[in-house]
Amino acid sequence: MSEKQGLTVIVKTVTRAILAVIFLYGFYIILHGHLSPGGGFGGGVVLALGFLSVLLAYGRPAAQEWLNIRILHSVESSGPLLYLALGLLGLAAGGAFLLNTLGKGRLFDLWSSGFILPLNIIIGVKVGLSLFLAVWALTEWDPEKGDDP
Amino acid sequence: MIIYLLCFALFLIGLYGMIVKRDLIKIILASGIMGYAVNLMIVLFGYRRGAVYPILEKGKEAAIMVDPLPQALVLTSIVIELGTTAMLVALAIRLFNKYKTFDITKIRRLRG
Repeated sequence: MSEKQGLTVIVKTVTRAILAVIFLYGFYIILHGHLSPGGGFGGGVVLALGFLSVLLAYGRPAAQEWLNIRILHSVESSGPLLYLALGLLGLAAGGAFLLNTLGKGRLFDLWSSGFILPLNIIIGVKVGLSLFLAVWALTEWDPEKGDDP
Repeated sequence: MIIYLLCFALFLIGLYGMIVKRDLIKIILASGIMGYAVNLMIVLFGYRRGAVYPILEKGKEAAIMVDPLPQALVLTSIVIELGTTAMLVALAIRLFNKYKTFDITKIRRLRG
């Protein structure tokens, strides 16, 4: 991890301190999407901002060391497939697409909405990673070296 | 009524920036401001004074709620705006790569 890359040591320290809190908040919004305002998209944006704070504070090489971009790409691409699989599960049970085959649970519990919680999780991971990877693709170009990544 | 006019004023600020400014980054920001103004106006259409948010909670009785339909529409609109902004930024990066400037008056090699 080189010292020249990224922003000042103040920004780096603050980022290191609040990163876990950002991710915790994102997961909270995703998991409580069916109970309170929020859901997959909002929580996913918060997760993406957590990744982006690392990218901005530490610079691209350090972030590349910290994250395995290839695996993130795979996870991001598997999101729609998982969504489709959950949807076809309802079709296989003899109902309509996205029919709820899980139990309904008790009202206002965390497990109270059947399919909505797993779908929120899938959407959150997909949105978070795709937002982060879009910015990652935009930072690929280096002003000094030109177009070659 | 005044809040709708304020939304329109915000939209006009974005339009002004988009037409007058010469920096590509400022043009992209101005397009974002225009989008936010439209989103704000659509959300305000569904607002009712003294109403609660449209979510049922433990121990809450059914009361007058704000209209959730504009909020759902605006959520979709925000996502689309994000995609267009990302594409505009990608185009700006490509242009900077080719011309080494964000000034649109200097990006003119394609002229006649």
